[in-house]
Amino acid sequence: MQPRIRHLFLVAAVALAACGKKEPPAPPPPPAPAPAAVPAPVAVPAGVTLSAVSLGKSVGADKKVSVATEVFAKGDTIHASIDTTGVGSATVVAKWSYSKDGKTAAVKEETATITPTGPATTEFHISKPDGWPLGDYKVEILVNGTSAATKSFKVQ
Amino acid sequence: MSDMPDFSNVQSGSSSTANKVYEVKAGDSLSKIAKREYGDANKWPQIFEANKDILKDPNKIFPGQKLKIPPLA
Repeated sequence: MQPRIRHLFLVAAVALAACGKKEPPAPPPPPAPAPAAVPAPVAVPAGVTLSAVSLGKSVGADKKVSVATEVFAKGDTIHASIDTTGVGSATVVAKWSYSKDGKTAAVKEETATITPTGPATTEFHISKPDGWPLGDYKVEILVNGTSAATKSFKVQ
Repeated sequence: MSDMPDFSNVQSGSSSTANKVYEVKAGDSLSKIAKREYGDANKWPQIFEANKDILKDPNKIFPGQKLKIPPLA
């Protein structure tokens, strides 16, 4: 074989070898960065819940009773002050009743729908123009239809 | 005949440091609602102001409307 032809064969062989050569595999992509730490969700109280009930003869601008008592006189206006926590909408009911000799009579029922954005105080009150019969009374507080507290009191 | 007392003339009410919601009934007016909720009919503008998003005219309220009753300032 002539040197020139041999040279052409050599060039062709190198070219063919180059064509068949595979590129080295691409390096694997870097692992995805770890997700940024997500702050723990702030605990939000679920709904509105009752935290305290107190009775008294008057309330202040904060709707809390001025002096807590469970004994009233015939001519008193009777206030029940209800502290709640939580946010949302809640239906609060005060059911007032009277008991005598094992029998119970409904006195009055009052409903308030509230939409607190945090701790709140709601007051309910009842009065009777001709005076309260002496005896034992009770107020039951329901929050969203569930009995949440009961307070007994006397008129004497 | 029952020997239990008559409680039919008992008067009641409520107020709150939170907004209350009042559903308008037939025959209501803002002054009637203010009288019931605040004990003072003249406080009706406070209810109107709190509900301007749904009330355009204080004389036009309708049964079923739910009004915000803000705590007395």
